[in-house]
Amino acid sequence: MEFFADSMNAALSLLLSADPDILHAVLTSLLVSGGSILLASLMGIPLGLAVGLSEFPLKRPAVTLLNSLVALPTVLVGLVVYGFLSRRGPLGSLGLLFTPAAIVIGGTILCTPIVAHYAMVAAKGADARILPTAMTLGAGPVRAWLKFVSEIRFGILAAVVAGFGRVVSEVGIAMMLGGNIRGYTRTMTTAIALETSKGKFAEGMALGVVLMAVALIVNVFLSLLQQRRP
Amino acid sequence: MSPPLYRLESVMRRYNGVVALEIPDLSIAEGRSYILAGQNGAGKSTLLSLLALLLPPSEGTLYYRGEKVFAGTPHAFRVRREVTLLHQSPYLFDDTVFGNLVFGLAARGIRGEDLRRSAGRSLETVGLAGFERRKARGLSGGEAQRVAMARALALSPKVLLLDEPLANVDRETADVLQDVIASLPRAGTTVILATHGPSHPAWSGSELLRIANGRIDPPPQPGPEPANPTDGD
Repeated sequence: MEFFADSMNAALSLLLSADPDILHAVLTSLLVSGGSILLASLMGIPLGLAVGLSEFPLKRPAVTLLNSLVALPTVLVGLVVYGFLSRRGPLGSLGLLFTPAAIVIGGTILCTPIVAHYAMVAAKGADARILPTAMTLGAGPVRAWLKFVSEIRFGILAAVVAGFGRVVSEVGIAMMLGGNIRGYTRTMTTAIALETSKGKFAEGMALGVVLMAVALIVNVFLSLLQQRRP
Repeated sequence: MSPPLYRLESVMRRYNGVVALEIPDLSIAEGRSYILAGQNGAGKSTLLSLLALLLPPSEGTLYYRGEKVFAGTPHAFRVRREVTLLHQSPYLFDDTVFGNLVFGLAARGIRGEDLRRSAGRSLETVGLAGFERRKARGLSGGEAQRVAMARALALSPKVLLLDEPLANVDRETADVLQDVIASLPRAGTTVILATHGPSHPAWSGSELLRIANGRIDPPPQPGPEPANPTDGD
């Protein structure tokens, strides 16, 4: 227990001193996680709504696949995207490997199924009268769907929270695609892994505390949004 | 002679291969009031959904003012803006009463004072003046039904389709809704009201359409032209 107490004290000192490496890792984490969840939401929410509400051949296998992809291993995503972005890969000429953009690509692939899964669950549980009501009041397809999303906004926010939680806490993709380059692609999780491997538990713990705080702040913020009533 | 408001020609609607509605020929005249009477499962709600263009027929053709209506076309979208369906158990959006009232108006591009005036007037009509800021989800069942009616009235529809509007409402709400519904044909609105029992005096001037097992029986003859149709707005 003494070890944890000492580490926590050291962590607080580091945080209070505003260590630039830690601040950069925090900002990089927020940047790549924010970018990933934004792209994942743009793709995953419509995908989840489409799968949840429409009937099509092979729907059951599609739902099973979507549910399975929720548990997509980060290392596998990192490996596949690495193959595409490496110099010999089909997208190697873009020069994206070991950049924040590469982490965003991997993070997007990781959390799109999560967002889609939660959006699908929200859509399936939605009141069946929402769309007909919007349509009979004269809404066109776009307005009717926007209203539908607005009516299930709590489920959609849950999808975004779950996706963000997954991407901000993953380490495999950030390590393989970002390369853990100090001051450039080092995120909170890769920094924790690095500091711990070097035996610098205090630094690792400091970043762990920040990671927890970030997750908490994001969740509190989204919970407040959910509680807002018109 | 102008065409009827609606004409259904050899219309059939199936659900999972089972025929829910089969209408060889049906005409609905503009500005008239119709009672669609039948038991549960007779096909009333299906027919109303077809007329509201919320559901395409599996077979057959639906004409509106003499023009064929094809689902998903801009023409169908324009027609739908003239027709409003009030469901038996209406859904109110998770918003204020005002937010519910103005949804359809905003979809039609109505803004500002016109929007507020229409919303306020329709609330007055159903006896809920001053309810604008109330949360829709906090209303009683009768109030919710009246707000749903006000939401439909705010759009000044040319056709109002009502699915069991008086089912599960208190006496006061039923009286208010009956008065409102009875006044609509005089304003030129075509009313088609689905109900279990057509015997209420408020519906005495309406044409009766009996529906059973998805068929209207006997098929009514097209009525005469309405005496004083209006253009609406």
